[in-house]
Amino acid sequence: MRVTAGTESPMALELDLELPLARFTLRLRASLPADVTAVMGPSGAGKTSLLEAIAGLRRRARGRVVLEGEPLLDSARGLSLAPERRRVGYVPQDAGLFPHLTVIDNVRFGARGDAASVDAAVDTLELRPLLGRMPRALSGGERQRVALARALATRPRLLLLDEPLAALDVELRDRVLPWLLRVRSTWSLPCLYVTHNVGEALAAAAHLLLLGEGRLEAAGDPRSLLAVPALAREAQAGIENLLPGLVVSHDAPAGVTRVRTDGGLEVTVALDEERPPGSGVTLAVRAEDVLVAAVEPVGLSARNVYAATVASGERTGSDVTLRCTLHRGGGELLVRITPAAVAALGVEPGRPVWLAVKSHSIRLL
Amino acid sequence: MSSGDLALVGFTLRMAALATAATLLPGIVAGLLLARYRGPGRGALDTLLSLPLVLPPTAVGLALLMLLARNGPLGGWLEAHGLAVVFTWKGVVLATSVMSFPLLVRSARTAFEEVDPRLVTLARTLGCRPAAAFFRVTLPLARRGIMAGLVLAFSRSLGEFGATILVAGNIPGRTQTLSLAIFQEVQAGRDRHALALAGWTVALAFLALWSTEWISRRRDPECA
Repeated sequence: MRVTAGTESPMALELDLELPLARFTLRLRASLPADVTAVMGPSGAGKTSLLEAIAGLRRRARGRVVLEGEPLLDSARGLSLAPERRRVGYVPQDAGLFPHLTVIDNVRFGARGDAASVDAAVDTLELRPLLGRMPRALSGGERQRVALARALATRPRLLLLDEPLAALDVELRDRVLPWLLRVRSTWSLPCLYVTHNVGEALAAAAHLLLLGEGRLEAAGDPRSLLAVPALAREAQAGIENLLPGLVVSHDAPAGVTRVRTDGGLEVTVALDEERPPGSGVTLAVRAEDVLVAAVEPVGLSARNVYAATVASGERTGSDVTLRCTLHRGGGELLVRITPAAVAALGVEPGRPVWLAVKSHSIRLL
Repeated sequence: MSSGDLALVGFTLRMAALATAATLLPGIVAGLLLARYRGPGRGALDTLLSLPLVLPPTAVGLALLMLLARNGPLGGWLEAHGLAVVFTWKGVVLATSVMSFPLLVRSARTAFEEVDPRLVTLARTLGCRPAAAFFRVTLPLARRGIMAGLVLAFSRSLGEFGATILVAGNIPGRTQTLSLAIFQEVQAGRDRHALALAGWTVALAFLALWSTEWISRRRDPECA
């Protein structure tokens, strides 16, 4: 068994897996804490296969899976527990609710008459108003909540969530993520959480596994991994600009929270008093939420205006993505604008510009 | 109408019901096998199970008769155990169920194929053994197709003629069903009575098809 340095408690989940897939064999060794571990990587890297192997749904998996000291898989000893004996809660991407059962019957499905755990799961995910409904009458976010409750009601020892938010649009996502965080704090289960969204990983996970084709590219604290190029690429698929920093102060009458980035940039965001001054945060800004001005803007409502120089411009789909170097702090912001705007502003590499971001376009992670 | 006709209708319904009941379990098993089994011999199995659908019923009846006759490979053994099939109502049930079996198998197979295998997998992670997953997820999700197959098999059973007459004969009061009686009355020149009996078959067919329609149209909770 591999022991990770610097931790007092034994690792909740030990993985040493070899899993033949269509294009390659996934080989992975990792020790995971009893907390949320985000699993990231490009499509086809084997993320879902990894979850299925841990759940016991991949017969070709070889190696060891040890959950809180108990082996679920130990192919050297010819041991492979059947999925129904692993007590692992698996929530697939599409929720996978049983269409012939009501919400409450779905939640009860694996609970073996344990009314207390059914009640706890129903309450945590606030499903009371939905109990008599059929799955087809639920929204995408509701389905995910029911699927999560169904898994929790079995009192699992490990939760496997396969992109629970991917099928939801951005607005719904923000409504489901709090449930996941609540599950994380009230159940304190080890949990593997597949996501494509770096913001989600930063918000929900204490640990991160980054899969490349068939291997583990990186593992560790998500914030420290932001510098890993592969993760930076992943980040670009979702929120392009992620700036680590510290909360400086709250100004309740003005409705703003001030943050200083590690690069020394002063940023004003919408008031978020739950983060005390001095706490570390990551600012997330979408590239399309950054305005570009050819001259210093005056009389603008946006609180955050920075001088920068265009480093490069690249056609991305129907838009142009500009890489801009900030004059203060030397950090970079990715900005997405239309080719028409590029022409109108005369934007080209080397050209100084002003970048503006509304406080409400910045999310604190 | 005569009490004899009523008895005939009752006997025909009983035979069709028994034949359908007899095909229920093997039909579901065969349907499941064809839907899930992917190994060698699958195509041969599929063809074999569909054969009664395309063969002339009399050919199937002949094969059954040879198998079950007193000097046939199975008939001697059955008779030694007091189970005479040929020229008895059991022969009617057997011939009828063999002929209607493929209809149930086809419906059941399609119904099982439409069940998302991932739901079955999920049931396993929720603590179900394979058998429990089948009874709690696969079967309930396939039940509509199986019901439709049963009604179809029952309707087919009501009118079975060719295989039945070879295996069970056409003995009034013992093995004679409606379709056999129509044949007998026409041969005897009693056309008006034959027509009355045919009217009964039309009524029964209507009932059966109408209930198929009812099963497939009924709003199902799982469909959007």
